[in-house]
Amino acid sequence: MFDTAKTETKLELDGVTSGYGPIAIIKDLSLSIRKGEIFALMGKNGMGKTTLLKTILGLVSARSGEIQLDGRSIVGASPKALIKSGVGYAPQEQPLFTDLSIQDNLRLAIRSDRDLGAALEHVFTHFPFLRDRLAQQAGTLSGGEQKMLILSRALMLKPDLILIDEISEGLQPTVIAQIAKALQAEQAENGTTILLVEQNLNFALDVADRWAVLKLGEIDDSGIADADSRERVLEHLKI
Amino acid sequence: MSDALAISPSRSNAVRRRAAILGVLALVALALVIFGPMFLSRFSINVLTRSMIYAILAITVDLLWGFTGILTFGQAAFFGVGAYATAMLLTHIGSSPTLISLALVLAILVPVVLGTIVGWLSFYYGSTPIYATVISLVFPIVVTQLIYSGGTLTGSSSGMVGYSGLPFGLEGFFRLSGISLVVVTLGALIFVRSDSGRILTAIRDNETRCAYLGLNTQRIKIMLTAVLAGVAGLAGFLYANASGVVAPENTSFVFGTELVVWTALGGRGTILGPVLGAVGIDYLSASLSGELPFLWQLVVGTLFVVMIIFLPNGLAALVSRLTRRGRGEVVAGAGPELVSEAPRHHVKMVDGPLLSIDKLEKSYGSQKVLADITLDVAPGELVSLVGPNGAGKTTMMRCLTDGKESSGGVIRIAGKNIAGMVPNQIVALGVGRKFQVASVFESLTVAECLRMARASLEAPSFVAASDTLSLPPAAIEILQLTGLDQLLSTEVSLLSHGQKQSLELAMVVALEPRMILLDEPTAGLTKAERTTIGTILKKLTNELGFAAILVEHDLDFVRDISSRIVVLHQGRLVLDGSVDEVVNSDIVKTIYSGGDHV
Amino acid sequence: MTLLLDIVTTAAILFIVSAGLLAIFGVLEIVNFAHGAWLTVGAYCAVVTGGLGLSPWLALPLAFVAGAVLGGVTERLIVRPLYSRPQDAILATWGLGIIIGQLITLGFGRDVQFTENLLSGTIHILGTDYSLYRLFALAAAVAIGLGFALLLEGTRLGLSARAVIMNQSLARALGLDTTRIRFVTFMIGTGLTALAGVLLTPLTSVDPTMGVAWLIGSFMLVMVAGSSFGALAVACLVFGGAQVLVSTFISPILGGITVAVLSALVLRISSKGFARV
Repeated sequence: MFDTAKTETKLELDGVTSGYGPIAIIKDLSLSIRKGEIFALMGKNGMGKTTLLKTILGLVSARSGEIQLDGRSIVGASPKALIKSGVGYAPQEQPLFTDLSIQDNLRLAIRSDRDLGAALEHVFTHFPFLRDRLAQQAGTLSGGEQKMLILSRALMLKPDLILIDEISEGLQPTVIAQIAKALQAEQAENGTTILLVEQNLNFALDVADRWAVLKLGEIDDSGIADADSRERVLEHLKI
Repeated sequence: MSDALAISPSRSNAVRRRAAILGVLALVALALVIFGPMFLSRFSINVLTRSMIYAILAITVDLLWGFTGILTFGQAAFFGVGAYATAMLLTHIGSSPTLISLALVLAILVPVVLGTIVGWLSFYYGSTPIYATVISLVFPIVVTQLIYSGGTLTGSSSGMVGYSGLPFGLEGFFRLSGISLVVVTLGALIFVRSDSGRILTAIRDNETRCAYLGLNTQRIKIMLTAVLAGVAGLAGFLYANASGVVAPENTSFVFGTELVVWTALGGRGTILGPVLGAVGIDYLSASLSGELPFLWQLVVGTLFVVMIIFLPNGLAALVSRLTRRGRGEVVAGAGPELVSEAPRHHVKMVDGPLLSIDKLEKSYGSQKVLADITLDVAPGELVSLVGPNGAGKTTMMRCLTDGKESSGGVIRIAGKNIAGMVPNQIVALGVGRKFQVASVFESLTVAECLRMARASLEAPSFVAASDTLSLPPAAIEILQLTGLDQLLSTEVSLLSHGQKQSLELAMVVALEPRMILLDEPTAGLTKAERTTIGTILKKLTNELGFAAILVEHDLDFVRDISSRIVVLHQGRLVLDGSVDEVVNSDIVKTIYSGGDHV
Repeated sequence: MTLLLDIVTTAAILFIVSAGLLAIFGVLEIVNFAHGAWLTVGAYCAVVTGGLGLSPWLALPLAFVAGAVLGGVTERLIVRPLYSRPQDAILATWGLGIIIGQLITLGFGRDVQFTENLLSGTIHILGTDYSLYRLFALAAAVAIGLGFALLLEGTRLGLSARAVIMNQSLARALGLDTTRIRFVTFMIGTGLTALAGVLLTPLTSVDPTMGVAWLIGSFMLVMVAGSSFGALAVACLVFGGAQVLVSTFISPILGGITVAVLSALVLRISSKGFARV
């Protein structure tokens, strides 16, 4: 679709190793994400997908290797700095302040309340139901609504690159379709690059341009998302 | 039956040499306290008598805080109770050799009883470390206030004076305190190096692991608190006799904090450090308080803060770091002798399944994480628990080792319903649990870790550090396969991640369980290490009849070693069958391609 | 009637004294054992303004600023290196308390100091003559409580602080500057504590160790209240009430240990204390 635009590199990982304490979860991993594409990174639990996102965001520090955003090294940068330079993050574990209102959850994504109105309007275009429920406590939302709130929060600052961690987990197909639509709209309208970490291969292959499978902290297989991908990826994912 | 696997003649020599050094040091110290009064001024004798009694207290603080990790401000109160028991008895009832002996008994017994109560309050299943600290603050406050409100019985705010105690002079009390200090120090030094003394450090390092090795850590901590309260009471008895006066300040938490300051400055976890810290600082305080009263306290306070931030283990640790050998480096070959011991079969065999789960349920509030799980596991089976994220696998493992976790249904292990049981009781039924992140004791050696796993089966010595290590053959085999048998006296913190995983497995096997639970045992391991672990697990189940339940994401590994696979999805058990049945099932394909609810 | 007023005003004083400690514990999860020293610093600010012949009310802003600045330095030098070692943080701040106490002793001597009363006299209320100052303390407690509520609910800093309390790692992942939030919270907490020290001067004698007596009570209340100001208010009312009743009907000395003993019992029964109120 956007072949001309998608030759430039947005995010480049070169020989990255990272993990917790003595344990290396990501091992010598190299990966290149092009500007404006949706890239699906798949793999089973414990294969290092979340750790990879956290490493990019600076929440887990890379032990070796190089990570570049728009050609500039971001190794050692703080999450704060990365978010400032246009990275959005939709985490998977404990992703919401469940005791805070929807509005406060969204407010925490931006730096100044002056930008609140415009940012809210932007996310309402994708998820209009939020408009009337800003005062509602986030923890009282249904599972699907919570996921949409998590994604909305990542979109508040109109980032150029969004890191999304298993947004489809435990959701009904109708909700997944809504989320897929929002992601594709962001990509088409704003040229947003999206790195999607997923276990749901139907959803991932529907929205993604390219994919890779992560196994034990290394890239096991990768390809362009096409008709043959499904069987190939399933072989990696199923038990 | 005993079959020596590694011989280390140097080991027993080293032990003997250490004992000799300790003996010589003790004799020198004894000589110092016996002949010291001949060379010291009256002032110094007086102050040092007190300082040495305080040093006994510092040792008790060190055992609790430095070794076991329990930050306490309450030792002063036990000391005060001992002192007051003595003074009150001698004041109100009279003074005779019998009554003085009675005072000694009471000065120890009353604090022991109070220590048991304080321990019982502080340590229960699920208690937090800060709670023990809270209690250690409340207790001295209560004691102090009771003394204030005691009227003539306790002397209220002016304390008690004018009773006659032991008929010793100034020098006599100096010698008595000195000898007591040497004895307590020596006893503490021998105890902390003994096999049971290492349990304190194990609790400090990783209390959860201790519980999962079948040790009742709460009871150990209560007993420790009670015994050390008795020692503090003894110090109180000495103090009441030597000083001839007791005051409410002797029981206050502020004095309790001073003890902690001395212990910290001397070096927590070293026994000798706190002794020197207490004697040195108290003596200097008394000597300098005339000339620079406030400045001196300022210097101590500043040193204390700087020390806590930059040198948390105190001066003694710095010295021992410069001089120590053995610890702190990988030692090949040395260590105790491995002795293979026939399995004890301490767990009763029963007919029927080893594990039987019936309609297990777990919910957090309205959210059901597990529902309607029914499953039997027989000896010799290796059951892999698989399923996507959030399926409830780890929650289920937790329910199996903690009887307070489940919200419904019945879990029976070897026929016994585990409802309400705490981990160490479940371990006693023959369950061993290996955690996802290797759960070992970082500051112990490999051999000491393994000995901890045996501590619930054979009571370790309070005096000796054994130079053999008896383990069941299966555990020894794991050590040999992974090369850990050559690293027995290496400190665990120096091991690689894979070695720690193997060590934990060996510790769990050394418990001689009937069933092992393993949560992702191969996470972060190299391919070779995985193969080794797989081989061990297969052998444990196929040949030795262990049952094993495994949570694992590495498909090849699961396929290779499982005898059965159980699939969880959204908190329910959706499939239970042989490897082939599960791998080729359509349900599994649907689940893993992100399909609909099953 | 007097009893009721005693209960309410005692609770108010406990609340004033513990609020700063709670703010710090809630956000930083660190127990500031130099809390007593900050109360003392505040009280000596009142001594200083008195010595300079200034209005005693001026001591309030002076104490807040002095407490906050001192708090900033402390957070940077002592607390920040010890975030991962909360037990050591208790000890290091206790040590700092010793240092501050000795510095005050060096500067002012160890004798009891006298300060000018902020408000004196009594007022006729609910059919009885009651100390005007104690009623003022009640108003001050309400003001501090409302101030915190406003700060937490109404400002970005408050929102960020609540986010850090609820889920620190998520706050960091969203790019909040958790280091700065902790720093500012510590300064506010210590500033407020020093201010509380000024408010204590009419009620207690001022000497270099005066803070220690209040430290334990505040510590217990904060342990019971967790990170919630509402729970702190409830704990102050319940335990303060019990303290007044025990002091009045049994013995003032036993009244002095009521708060500590009750807190220990409540925590033994539920480790969350009143935090769920």
